[in-house]
Amino acid sequence: MAVAEPFVAPRPAWRRPVSLDLRAPRTWSIIGASLFAVMTLIALAAPLLSPHDPLVPVGIPLAGPGHGGFLLGSDSIGRDVLSRCLYGMRASWFAALVVIAGGFLIGGLVGLVAGSSGGWIDNLLMRITDGFLALPAPVLAIAVVASLGPSFTHTLIAVSVVWWPFYARIVRGEISKLAARPHVEAARLAGAGRVRIAVRHLLPGALPAAVVTASLDVGNLVLALAGLSFLGLGQSAPAPELGADSARNLSLLLQQWWVPVVPGIAVAVLAVIANVAGDSVRNLIDPA
Amino acid sequence: MSAQLAPEDVLTDEGYAVVATAEDLHVTFRRNGKAIHALRGISLEIRRGEILGLVGESGSGKSVLGLTLLGLHGAGATISGRATVRGRDMVSATDAERREVRIAHLGAVFQDPMTSLNPTMRVGRQVAEAAGSDEEALRLLRLVGVPEAESRMSAFPHELSGGLRQRVMIAMAVAGNPDLVIADEPTTALDVTVQAQVLRLLRTLRDELGCSVLMITHDLGVAAQIADRVAVMYAGRLAELGESDAVLRNSAHPYTLGLMRSRLTLGVDRSRALPALAGEVPSPAAPQPGCAFSPRCSVAGPDCVETSPEPVEVEPGHHSACLRPLAVVRRTDTMGPAVLTARAEPARIDQDTAALSLRSVVKTFGVGKGFGRKRTLHALRGVSLQIAQGESVALVGESGSGKSTLLRVAAGLEAADSGEVELSGGSRPQMVFQDSGASLTPWMTVEQILGERVRDLGRAARAAKVREALSLVGLPAEVGAARATQLSGGQRQRVCLARATIVPPPVLLCDEPTSALDVSLAASVINLIARLRRELGMSVLFVTHDLSVARVVADRIAVMYLGQIVEIGASDRVTSAPLHPYTRSLVSAVPDVGLTPVILPGEPASPLNPPSGCAFHPRCADATESCRDTELGLRLQRVANDDVDRVACINIDLSHVPTPVYITPKGA
Ligand SMILES: Nc1ncnc2c1ncn2[C@@H]1O[C@H](COP(=O)(O)OP(=O)(O)OP(=O)(O)O)[C@@H](O)[C@H]1O
Ligand code: SF4
Ligand code: SF4
Ligand SMILES: [Mg+2]
Repeated sequence: MAVAEPFVAPRPAWRRPVSLDLRAPRTWSIIGASLFAVMTLIALAAPLLSPHDPLVPVGIPLAGPGHGGFLLGSDSIGRDVLSRCLYGMRASWFAALVVIAGGFLIGGLVGLVAGSSGGWIDNLLMRITDGFLALPAPVLAIAVVASLGPSFTHTLIAVSVVWWPFYARIVRGEISKLAARPHVEAARLAGAGRVRIAVRHLLPGALPAAVVTASLDVGNLVLALAGLSFLGLGQSAPAPELGADSARNLSLLLQQWWVPVVPGIAVAVLAVIANVAGDSVRNLIDPA
Repeated sequence: MSAQLAPEDVLTDEGYAVVATAEDLHVTFRRNGKAIHALRGISLEIRRGEILGLVGESGSGKSVLGLTLLGLHGAGATISGRATVRGRDMVSATDAERREVRIAHLGAVFQDPMTSLNPTMRVGRQVAEAAGSDEEALRLLRLVGVPEAESRMSAFPHELSGGLRQRVMIAMAVAGNPDLVIADEPTTALDVTVQAQVLRLLRTLRDELGCSVLMITHDLGVAAQIADRVAVMYAGRLAELGESDAVLRNSAHPYTLGLMRSRLTLGVDRSRALPALAGEVPSPAAPQPGCAFSPRCSVAGPDCVETSPEPVEVEPGHHSACLRPLAVVRRTDTMGPAVLTARAEPARIDQDTAALSLRSVVKTFGVGKGFGRKRTLHALRGVSLQIAQGESVALVGESGSGKSTLLRVAAGLEAADSGEVELSGGSRPQMVFQDSGASLTPWMTVEQILGERVRDLGRAARAAKVREALSLVGLPAEVGAARATQLSGGQRQRVCLARATIVPPPVLLCDEPTSALDVSLAASVINLIARLRRELGMSVLFVTHDLSVARVVADRIAVMYLGQIVEIGASDRVTSAPLHPYTRSLVSAVPDVGLTPVILPGEPASPLNPPSGCAFHPRCADATESCRDTELGLRLQRVANDDVDRVACINIDLSHVPTPVYITPKGA
């Protein structure tokens, strides 16, 4: 006779109560990961946080930090550097998130289809992916902007085109590993169709790796986009943009250093925050 | 050189009686913030020149004891007590001292030689590194019986079969004449015929070299066959220790008695449910207070929960850690009375209706070797098999003989190159896999997984159906909310069976469903499959490499060799009066208490290049010239015009079926 054993299901890790034990590494990871939310809130609230309109001159030009009512000084036509930075950070942050969301969706879909179908579909999709992966980002961006006309949207499109293949590769790698597990065959025998297998039995297993990659990627994208706007491939002139603001005012570096340096520091701060947050997400999802 | 090193210890090989000891050894690991108590105070000694069998189920701490003696326990472990080798304590020694002891006195063989051999290095060089010179390496490879040792020196590990790799590992282990060889499940990954060869080799080496062997195994039959003394471990402590015969035939501890009774042998009574130990091995994260065996012990009393029994000498040289006197333990039926009296109803078989029929099924795989060059692997070379409704058939054969492939073709997971697969009623068979954990989707709950087969039902009906399926396999309804990782191995296999039977299939396909389970759990899963089959009227096709399992679960056994069925017949007849030479060697290689196996020479043949004529001829003792003939066209032939027994061999008298020896169990 079968003997029913007493059974107590342990609580899954993610349902454990959040403790505020500051010695536990988990607590720090949670704090780190919430930096993503904090940064997004700051970006959303940029209009409220900015003391001035970033586009119009509001005082004497080239006032030093702390002078003329400008906390971080003013630029060559008297606009507030702090306000321009806050708006610039907002633009970079959302641009990075948009590109990542796009890459995640397109790449994830391509990877899922390739990995779960296998065979020639897999080969074909991965060849295409590799083709895109081989394109150099700045050259492609210049080409797109040159043919479609300069616009921030066009730059974002160009970056997305080179960005999704990373996600396609990662998702497809995870999916094909999972597809070799007997649980997929078991699901097939249980009557699950192709789509159901892909969505229920494969995709959830690939998500953690993709999410970790995405969160570590925000910092890279902030830097890449700043680089492109530094090259003049970002938003057009009056719009506040960290890379462009820094590049246009590079000649002031020796006298009015705050004008080019403050936006540069803002880029660095964004990138560091994104990396800390990304690392924390990785530690939470994949504590090894 | 260390100061503790007394020179006479190292230099004189004479004058010591004990090679290694464990003295009140505790080893604790930390995993995910939890303390894992792997060893909880174990003391024993390994004598000079003896083979000590260390037996226990998974998690009992036997491998940890071996690794601690080797000084390979890792930095994360908290250790108290001593583990000495030739008088040197491996616990308190520095890394350099441990290495020195390993080189001078120890050798090691592990379960999977593929992970311990360097895949990028020729085996000759690897052995030479351990042995000191190429000549010595060659001598050792010959010593361990590697055929054509000279040419094998330049082979890479992956070019050798599992059995040959294990021989190479053993050659490295005995290089430099160690005093003690620690062998951790060295034959678990091997086929029975090869296992018998390797066990014989270890014994011969011990006799010739005079070294001691610590033989770690979960298989009591293996221990019985090779060990002089046996130590039985349970939950990190010693349960019983003594001469092999005394421990295995005259057990003194309730746990050993239970293991011996739930052990499957070719003599088990097939007409009853198997006696199975209740419950499961305790988790090393939360050790039981008092005697760890008390929740499963039928002679336990309140004192057992308070006092942790120490091993005491119950007979000369025979120790047991139990609070009850020997007479009480031996008098009691340790399995509980209910189990032994359960006589199973025979299943109803409808011989006239075939539930599954396979006709001349051929399946090949193209395997790539390097660039371009594809080779053909002949996995199934024309297999015909019919399974009647309600009947259970077992497929046995060595690794690579095509058993799993046949099952997968029957399941429709793999398409046959040619031949027919016909299922009665056309509905899909269901399958239970060897690795139950991997066959459950890790992020889905049991309820979601089971519910997948009854998706067309409404929510409430589905939930009710899931509860019903769980209770049928003896699991409480709460399991529905759990994920696979939260379940034990036995519970997972039950969940897989629940998924397969929530809508009873006409045919249940089982691929080694018990081989990953502990001895005491395997019996209960086999009982469960038998009960489900009876109650749901299913046919069963059961793949196993273990003849004693096949004999219990099946009405008929089909023996496969290199993609063909070479013999088929009633279970009792095949296991007690086998006809085909290959079946005969399989039957005689089953390790058991008090039996000497007949050893089949040679290595399993490769399905990349099946021998001509009868594929078994290179290893067959009865082979004649005509067996090699390419035109042989060997087919399964009826034995004495009966419908059950068939065999494919030209040198067998087909005029009468040998009488099966029905084994009557004691006390039936
Ligand atoms: N998908 C595949 N591609 C290539 N070769 C395969 C594939 N599946 C099985 N094989 C090969 O077919 C042969 C028969 O395999 P199969 O798994 O049926 O053997 P088995 O009898 O179940 O062995 P085991 O006891 O080790 O499970 C083996 O040589 C195996 O390596
Ligand atoms: S000490 Fe008690 S519980 Fe433990 S084996 Fe003996 S009788 Fe059973
Ligand atoms: S046909 Fe010949 S080689 Fe094959 S099993 Fe029979 S005797 Fe042996
Ligand atoms: Mg198999």
